[in-house]
Amino acid sequence: MTNKTINWIDRRFPFSSFVKHDLTEYPTPRNLSYWWNFGFLAGFVLVLQVATGVFLAMHYKADAGLSFDSVQHIMRDVNYGWLLRFMHATGASAFFLVIYIHMARTLYYGSYRAPRELMWWTGQGLLLLLMATAFMGYLLPWGQMSFWGATVITNLFKATPFYGEEVVTWLRGGFSVGDATLTRFFSLHYLLPFLILGGVAVHLIALHTVKSSNPSGIDLAAKDNIPFHPYFTSKDFYGLGIFLIVYCLFVFFLPNSLMEPANNIPANPMQTPTHIVPEWYFLPFYAILRSVPDLVGGVVAMGLSVMMFAFMPFLDRSRIPGGASNRPMVKLGFYLFLINMLVLGYVGATPPSNQTILIGRVATLFYFGSFFLIPFISKAEERWLIKRGLPAELKELMEREAREKIDLPPHRRAGDDK
Amino acid sequence: MSESDTLGDSKRRNFLIKVTTVVGGAGAAAVCVPFVASMNPSSDVLAKATTEADLSGIPVGGVHTVAWQGKPVFIFHRDPEEIKAMEASDGGFDPEPDQQRVKRPEWLVVIGICTHLGCVPNKEGPGWTCHCHGSQYDDSGRVVRGPAPRNLAVPPYYFVADNKILIGKSKA
Amino acid sequence: MNKFFISLMLCSFVSPVWSAEAMLETFKVDTDLPAIARGVDDLMNNCHSCHNLKYVTYLDLAKLGIDRQKIDGWRGDQPMDAPLASLMSDEAAMQSFNLVPPDLSLMTKAREGGASYVYSYLLGYYNTPDGVTHNHIFPATKMPDPLGMSTTTDHAQREEIRKTAHDIVSFLSWAADPHEQERYRLGYYVIGYLVILTLLLYFVKKQIWSRLK
Repeated sequence: MTNKTINWIDRRFPFSSFVKHDLTEYPTPRNLSYWWNFGFLAGFVLVLQVATGVFLAMHYKADAGLSFDSVQHIMRDVNYGWLLRFMHATGASAFFLVIYIHMARTLYYGSYRAPRELMWWTGQGLLLLLMATAFMGYLLPWGQMSFWGATVITNLFKATPFYGEEVVTWLRGGFSVGDATLTRFFSLHYLLPFLILGGVAVHLIALHTVKSSNPSGIDLAAKDNIPFHPYFTSKDFYGLGIFLIVYCLFVFFLPNSLMEPANNIPANPMQTPTHIVPEWYFLPFYAILRSVPDLVGGVVAMGLSVMMFAFMPFLDRSRIPGGASNRPMVKLGFYLFLINMLVLGYVGATPPSNQTILIGRVATLFYFGSFFLIPFISKAEERWLIKRGLPAELKELMEREAREKIDLPPHRRAGDDK
Repeated sequence: MSESDTLGDSKRRNFLIKVTTVVGGAGAAAVCVPFVASMNPSSDVLAKATTEADLSGIPVGGVHTVAWQGKPVFIFHRDPEEIKAMEASDGGFDPEPDQQRVKRPEWLVVIGICTHLGCVPNKEGPGWTCHCHGSQYDDSGRVVRGPAPRNLAVPPYYFVADNKILIGKSKA
Repeated sequence: MNKFFISLMLCSFVSPVWSAEAMLETFKVDTDLPAIARGVDDLMNNCHSCHNLKYVTYLDLAKLGIDRQKIDGWRGDQPMDAPLASLMSDEAAMQSFNLVPPDLSLMTKAREGGASYVYSYLLGYYNTPDGVTHNHIFPATKMPDPLGMSTTTDHAQREEIRKTAHDIVSFLSWAADPHEQERYRLGYYVIGYLVILTLLLYFVKKQIWSRLK
C-alpha cells in the first residue's frame, strides 16, 4: 500500500530520489562536532517563530490606539496567550543566539572559504532579513522602548544623501513614528519571515551542492562520509533536546529577563525614557553607531560592521585549508574578536560616559582593524606555517589544489562539481 | 552466538527508538494544545456569556432586542389575548405547547435567529416574518410557515427579580 | 566557544539595573491568596481613589478567590467585567497633580527593580527637618505619601505600614502577571519532560552511532 502510493507519487514528483539524495544517502563528514547542530536549530526556531507568530496575529491589533491593549489581552485573556507571546519573544533572542553561534562556527572553521562563498553570502542576506524582522517586530507591542527604538532607527535613514528627511518621513508614513508606521511594520513583520524561508531554501540547495565543511578543514574522501539519516538526524534531535531545555527555562521561568521594563509603559511620543537600549543582539552594532561622533559616519560604520562579514572570502588569502584548527593566528584573532564583541556589547548597554565612549572607540577600531588586517595576517601566517612544516595531509591537499589549478581550465577550482 | 547477540541488540535498539518516538510524539501533540486552545473564546469573551436584561421599560405589546453572546434575543411583552391565543394551539410544523416555551406567560424570550439559515426575523403583525426566505413564526416564536424547520430557540434564562432576567443560565 | 555563549547571555543582563537596585530594599513577593486579598483591600482603600488598574477586572478578582461581598461593595453597580477604574477623572487629576496618575496594572513590571522598586518607593517617604516630604527612591514624585511612612515614628506602626506595603505590592505583582504561578507549575512539567526526552534522544543517538565502529 505505502509502496504503491510512493510509486504513484514518484511518477509525478521526485519524492524517493529526494529522500535518497538529501537524507538517507546524503554524504556528511562523520567528524562534524556539535557546533554543526546550530544550522538545524536555526531552522527549528524559524518554524517556531512563524507558528507562534501566526497564532499571535489572530489576537493582535496593529493600531496605535489598540496595540498595547491587545498585547495585554493576549497576556491575560487569551487561552495560553501568555505562553505563545513568551515563546515568540524568547524565540527572537534564541534565534539570534543560535545564528551568532552558527556564524562564529563558520568563522572559526573557515567554512566561508571556497567553494562555500555563496552559502556565506546567502547567510549574510538571511542575517539582514532576520535583523529587519526582529526590529519591526519589536515595535508591535507599542511600548516606550518599542516606540523610541523605532524612532531612533528610522532616523538613521537621515544619513541618506540629499533626501534624508524625505526618506525618513516616507519610511514612517508620517512626521513621527505613528499609526501608519505601526501598521506597515506589522505587514512587513508578517511578510519577511516568508522571504527568510525562501532564503533558507537557497542556502540549503547551496549546501547540498557543496556539502558540509568539517572541523579538519580537509576535504574528506568518500570513506569518511556517512549518510545524514540516521546519524545526523539523531544527533540533531539530541541537540534540539538540549536547546529546548535552555529555551523553556527562559520561556517559563525568566521570560521578563529578556524584556525591557520600559516596554510595559505604553508608547508616549512626548517623553523619552531616560535610557534607551536595543535588545541584546543589537548591542555591539549599536555601540559602533555611538562610537562615531557623526550621524552619517555612525550610520555608515554600523551598516558596514554588519556587512563586513560578507568580505571574509576575499579577505582571507591564505592557501592553508580550513580554519582555526590548522591556523594558530586565526585562532588567536578569532578569540580576540569575540572578546571585542563582548566589550562592544557592554558599551552598547551602558549609558554613554567619557570612559565608555573611549572604550567603545578603541573597540570599534579593533573591530574594523581585525577585518582589514586579515589579508596580511593570513599571508604572513601561511609563510610561517609552511616554513615550520605542515602536517602531511594538509601538504598533500595543497599540492593537489596547486596541480588542479594548472591541469584544469582556470575557472575550475577545487570543490567545484567533478 | 554472535548472531543472537546482534539480534538482541537490534531488538533493544528498535525498542529504544520506538519508546523515544512515542514520547517525542506525545510531546509534539501536547504542544498543539496551547495553539488550538488559543483559538477558543478568550476569558473576556466568556465573561459576556450571560446578559442581564431589564424588563421594566418594555410596555405591553412591545418587543425589546438584547444582545446575548453576540446574538439577538427578543423579549416580547404579551397581552392576555395573545397569551390565550397561543395557549390554545400547539403551533404548526414543530408542535410545542406555549407553556413549555415561557417561564411567565406575559414574557416570551426567544433567540431571534431564523432556524432556517440564520437571518433575524422582523416583528410583523402577530408573530415574526423572516425576509430572507419567508418563514413565519407566531407570537410564541413557533414556526407556522416554512422553510424554517424548527421553532425559534428559547435561551436559558431565569428571573433574577420580577422585572429582571439573566440570559445564559437557567437558574441562579 | 563556551565563553561566547555564556557571555552573550550575560550581555543581556549587564545593564544599569544593578546600580539602581543597590538602593532598593530586598523584598519577596507573597503569592498566597490571603496576602493578595489583604493587598487588594489595602489598595482599594489607599490607591484606587487616584490610580486605575485598567487591565484587571472585578471578575478577575472573583476568579482569583477574593471575597465576593467585598467585590460587590467595590464595584457598586458596575458590571463584573468592568476594569478597576479609579474614582478620579483624568481632568481632576490634571488639576490636582498636573499629571494623570499612572495605571498600576503593570507597575511591578514597568520599573527597573520591579516589585522591590515599588515596595521601596512606597516606604521611601521621609520628612526633612523643615517639614517637607520627599521620597528617596523617586525624588521627583508628585504622589503624596499614601501610607503615612513619613509622619510615623512609632516602631510598631512603621512595621504595620511595611506589612501593608508588602501586601499591596504582592497584589500588584499578581496583577502585572496573573498567570505567573500557572507558568511556573507548567514549567516544571515541561522541563521534566524535556529532560527525559533528551536522555532518550541521547541514547538513541549513541546507539545509532555505535553502528559505525
